[in-house]
Amino acid sequence: MTDAVWIIAKRVINQIGRDHRTVAMILIVPLVVMTLIGLSFPDLRVLDYIAPALLAALALFFGFLLTGISFLRERSQGTMERLTVSPVTRLDIVVGYLCGFFVFALIQTFIILFYTIYVFDINYRGQLWEILVFQMVVIIGAVNLGIFISSFARNEFQMVQFIPLVILPQMFMGGLLWPVEQMPDYLQWFAHILPLTYAVDGMREIMLNGMNLLDVWVDLAVQAGFAMLTSVLAAITLRKGAVG
Amino acid sequence: MTDVAVSVNHLTFSFGHREVLKDLSLQIPTGIAFGLLGPNGAGKTTLIRLLVGLLKPKSGDIHILGQLISRKKALFIGYMPQLQSLYNELTVRQNVEFFARIYRLHDKAKRTQQVEKVLKLVDLWERRNDAVQSLSGGMKQRTSMACAIVHNPPLLFLDEPTVGLDPELRVSFWEFFSTLTKQGATLIISSHTMDDAAHCDRLGFIRDGKVIAEGTPNELKLATGTAQTSLEDAFLYFVRQGKDARND
Ligand SMILES: Nc1ncnc2c1ncn2[C@@H]1O[C@H](COP(=O)(O)OP(=O)(O)OP(=O)(O)O)[C@@H](O)[C@H]1O
Ligand SMILES: [Mg+2]
Repeated sequence: MTDAVWIIAKRVINQIGRDHRTVAMILIVPLVVMTLIGLSFPDLRVLDYIAPALLAALALFFGFLLTGISFLRERSQGTMERLTVSPVTRLDIVVGYLCGFFVFALIQTFIILFYTIYVFDINYRGQLWEILVFQMVVIIGAVNLGIFISSFARNEFQMVQFIPLVILPQMFMGGLLWPVEQMPDYLQWFAHILPLTYAVDGMREIMLNGMNLLDVWVDLAVQAGFAMLTSVLAAITLRKGAVG
Repeated sequence: MTDVAVSVNHLTFSFGHREVLKDLSLQIPTGIAFGLLGPNGAGKTTLIRLLVGLLKPKSGDIHILGQLISRKKALFIGYMPQLQSLYNELTVRQNVEFFARIYRLHDKAKRTQQVEKVLKLVDLWERRNDAVQSLSGGMKQRTSMACAIVHNPPLLFLDEPTVGLDPELRVSFWEFFSTLTKQGATLIISSHTMDDAAHCDRLGFIRDGKVIAEGTPNELKLATGTAQTSLEDAFLYFVRQGKDARND
């Protein structure tokens, strides 16, 4: 890790931290979502089933959206140009963003975890650190996906419209609300090319069935592969916009 | 140190089909303020972006501080883009501090001192804790300048640094630029105004992606043949000459 990574991470955290409304939403939105789901499924077993999946899904959603928009701004306001000219490397920038957003994603993960455990009185079995490691891999993929996709958007309007294209299908098809096995064959096939499907499955295995990271190695490997693929794509497209 | 800071040979560049720079050659000695003068769309910004390595030449080569352009030189270069490229949510000080750290001013005491120095220099010390988005246009411009100079680069590219500044600040900026060149730094400054041009040690008049004249302000004035010309007249003279040459 170079110093530049921490400098960039700190700036990302500072930047979001100074935007109080965004911080408030990062904290409150997961609570609202969990409460709504809690109220609409009075059967606590359903909540049991959904909460782990939601951890993964929110990590993907916020990691993607926050990075996407931040990067878009970095490009359009010209600071990317400054960074490109400076001594920092592309890797510094990508990893810096990753570390910055990881802090917020981590906070969200804790909020959902404790809210469901203490308010909805749900029992989880998995180890906390294993949950966090798994989440971290999901977040790496999400942040890099955000950087990559942001190079196809010219403004915030366009960026937001990538949500129904990139994120929503994964939420509906990835086993978040109903099991993948209950879907028609061709949709199951589709579900198995979506990274979130594996993230949801992995989180459930860890949190509901008390499995460890080795037991869910296939899910973890898919997440890691996705994270690697998106980092390469992110690094390739990083300077786009700055280069003009 | 070589005595040529920037050397450009037969540089050509296009955006798509539009050829923006045409076989442009230019030598800029170290330790001077070099003015890039030219009308809107002449190619000043494009040339600067090529010089800092943001764009790749179609043909020709660029040497910076004696070497072919490369990332190794990044620490020695300061760049102030034409558009104020700042983090709007952050304060003035956070912006300058960020770039100071990016340019490896790791020692905290030294960095704090340096940040304070440039903030006072651009006359924003009082506003240091205000978010950039709450500043006036000229103040943003000055913040942008502070970010470009905070690491004391020996080679500084400033794309229209004096736009939007009031006369008093213009004067103090030019005083500061001359202290920099006295310390041996090289400044490449683009501008439209002949007021800026008069402050430069050497000038390059650019039009349609070509250097149409190059020299000290006095040389350029004398070249027109009349002693009492202004730089403005000199520029127009060279523009007309270029047109005549083309029509021949
Ligand atoms: N990103 C771009 N894509 C396509 N064409 C561009 C781009 N940037 C600049 N150009 C074109 O290149 C030419 C030179 O532009 P440039 O910005 O270098 O001019 P300039 O001398 O800096 O002008 P100004 O004084 O207005 O800043 C113009 O014709 C412009 O339209
Ligand atoms: Mg310009």
